[in-house]
Amino acid sequence: MANDWGSEYVLEMIGISKSFPGVRALDDVTLRVRAGKVHALMGENGAGKSTLMKCLFGIYREDSGDVMLKGNKVNFHSAKDALEAGVSMIHQELSNVPQRSVCENIWLGREPLIKIGPMGFLNHKKMHADTVALLKSLDMDIDPSERMIALSVSKQQSCEIVKAVSYDASVVVMDEPSSSLTETETEHLFKIIRTLAAKGVAVIYISHRMSEIFEIADEVSIMRDGKMIGNYPIHEIDEDKLIKLMVGRDNTSRFPPVESTIGEVRLEVKNLTSANPRSFKDVSFVLRRGEILGIGGLVGAQRTELVESIFGLRKIGSGEIFIDGKKVEVRSPRDAIRKGMGLITEDRRGSGIFPLMSITANTAIASLGNYLNALRFLKHRKIEAETKKLNEALRTKTPTMATQIQNLSGGNQQKVLVSRWLMTLPDILIMDEPTRGIDVGAKYEIYSIMADLVANGKSVIMVSSEMPELIGMSHRVMVLCAGRHTGTLDKAEATQESVMRLAAQFEN
Amino acid sequence: MAAVNSLAPKKGIGPFISKNTTLVTFVSLAILLGLMTGGRSFEWPSVRNLMIAESVRAFAALGVGMIIITWGIDLSIGYVVCLVASVAASFAQSPDYAAALYAGKDFPLWLPFVVGIVTGGIFGLFNGVLIAFGRLPPFIATLGTMSIARGAQLIYTKAAVVGDLKDNYKAIAQGSVGPIPNLAIYVAIACFVIWVLLRHTKRGTNFYAIGGNAMAARVSGINVKRETVMVYTYAGLLYGIAGCLLAGRLGLANALTANGMELDAIAAVTVGGVSQTGGVGTMSGMIIGVLTLGIINYGMTYLGVDSYYQLLVKGFIIIAAVYFDMKKYAKRG
Repeated sequence: MANDWGSEYVLEMIGISKSFPGVRALDDVTLRVRAGKVHALMGENGAGKSTLMKCLFGIYREDSGDVMLKGNKVNFHSAKDALEAGVSMIHQELSNVPQRSVCENIWLGREPLIKIGPMGFLNHKKMHADTVALLKSLDMDIDPSERMIALSVSKQQSCEIVKAVSYDASVVVMDEPSSSLTETETEHLFKIIRTLAAKGVAVIYISHRMSEIFEIADEVSIMRDGKMIGNYPIHEIDEDKLIKLMVGRDNTSRFPPVESTIGEVRLEVKNLTSANPRSFKDVSFVLRRGEILGIGGLVGAQRTELVESIFGLRKIGSGEIFIDGKKVEVRSPRDAIRKGMGLITEDRRGSGIFPLMSITANTAIASLGNYLNALRFLKHRKIEAETKKLNEALRTKTPTMATQIQNLSGGNQQKVLVSRWLMTLPDILIMDEPTRGIDVGAKYEIYSIMADLVANGKSVIMVSSEMPELIGMSHRVMVLCAGRHTGTLDKAEATQESVMRLAAQFEN
Repeated sequence: MAAVNSLAPKKGIGPFISKNTTLVTFVSLAILLGLMTGGRSFEWPSVRNLMIAESVRAFAALGVGMIIITWGIDLSIGYVVCLVASVAASFAQSPDYAAALYAGKDFPLWLPFVVGIVTGGIFGLFNGVLIAFGRLPPFIATLGTMSIARGAQLIYTKAAVVGDLKDNYKAIAQGSVGPIPNLAIYVAIACFVIWVLLRHTKRGTNFYAIGGNAMAARVSGINVKRETVMVYTYAGLLYGIAGCLLAGRLGLANALTANGMELDAIAAVTVGGVSQTGGVGTMSGMIIGVLTLGIINYGMTYLGVDSYYQLLVKGFIIIAAVYFDMKKYAKRG
């Protein structure tokens, strides 16, 4: 490819190594990215993707290796440095000033000024005009004077991309950009990415979602244990091979066999309607002993709202809940736990872990009431023994049980949360996006735990946005669309297509 | 036996220092003070004075320490303690004191304690209800009750000194058991109770959980509202004890009693490793924090530093302690 820097690559990271005390986080990693191409970077959590990006943006200092941008050696000291050189990052979490306008956010910190003597005044007109031009060039339908907070997550993310483009970015890194988007929004994001690529921008796309990679990427690089395992044009690789490279072992079966006897009805929900008029309406279903009930749907289908309402976290407007045939009122999570339910929320950091507390405390927190002596003091020894037993059974990888949970990987944190609920001895375990953001190996282990639970006569409700796991693990799949129950499919009927048809029945 | 809330034991001097910054700071300062005073600060009368001077503050620190563990704050301490001291004192004045609030009445000795501690508890309960059910930010709720306590104290005492307390009342605070001041014994009992609460009860663990992640606490079945009301109420009861003892120790109460105690208490627990990010802190840390500030005060007085400058230094200490706390715990952006 002909260009003015004499290389076909716009960004090259060559032989990057980085060690932390006790770990070699990056071992001679080389990543080369072409202009105008979408380059997927894949790997399990802890493979070194984030560390590599942190070295690029100067958050970490690499021990050895070179970063070349357009043929010149560069060394960024901060994200701002990188941004000014045309390398920008779209984060998983949005970073904007919610109460200010799109325009102000894009030009934040470098607003065009009208100079009058020593004083500078904001040039609102230019700011607005430049923003309009940028939005138009990317084919985005956003009002530049709208406040950020009034925009959907997807549009806020688009604004971040606009900001990157406004810096004349030649490389844009996107870290799990689709994690909070609906299908339609993801489609829109892909359109923007294609526009960016057509403008000659190199996009580094980090994602766990296989299907997206095959849709958007031109090339894929796979990392494992701090090493670069391989680099392939996308048409030379398939999903199975990709997974095999990521986990380093043959993953012929991605789901463990689920062998359980389906028994009597344990939970019955009749005409349940949320107190929030914009949420779910008139949902009815049953859950049997030994059954995994999957709940599918697009973002905005109100699946989380439904399960959190059943668990007493949100207010119910009308409808009835029966457990083992008896009508129950669930007023709070406390109530739900007493009635034999457990809930692993979708937001592990926000409503799952206690980051500074130990594995022991994080596991025991929901069951402390069962571990009190006659004086109502905690039975520390029993608690320690039980939490240890549970975490060993789930193979939670941790230096000690006293380690703060924040120091574990996502998959191990999830196992601790599963232990927490197993310790409460629930009959019904609700798992909302149980494998979100965890690596392929840990996913399989979470699936095995689910299979074990139902084999022992427990019941599981699994809300999932990952079609393969929804279909692969559930006995039945119940689909919601825009807060309404559009259908329930048996294992035999459930396919990506049939679920999707029910999930997209109404216009959102 | 490791408790649910304890951290991993690590060997070696480096980890020991970084795990026990609070203790190391205290011991180094104590040694420094000992060297400066030629060993005099290690003699019993000095130690005794330190214990007496810091004991009332210790109650306030234990209270606000627990509140900060739940990610709250309490600015009402100083004036609540002041109100409690005044109310308690008014029921403990000598019956033959003509200017007494209830002149000519001789109340039983337990009455000032009951009234005082209940007053403190009611203020704490009120704070807790405002924060848990009214959803007021703790900073604003306790700023309001601070002013209410201030007003109530001035109205109740008509801005006069409540003095001439009965000797048997004063003796409760001023007396000693052998060489040990009574106040130190009360503090020791309070410390034991708080230690048991934080380390060995479900409620104590709930406090850490709420401070660490309130939403996760709710999902885990913790009644966050009730526990929040409880922590402020416990703190209020501790302020109540502080006020009653302070009146006894001083032999009077007036509008200036305990002023600024919230600053002392918050500074002490912060120095003692109770994190402003919530979910972190221990009873022993809180007490070491109180003693650390105590020896700093003692040292400055010994060196002849003007009390106005002492305030200045205290301000910098609290800022420095929070600065290092944030460096340690605040989430990296």
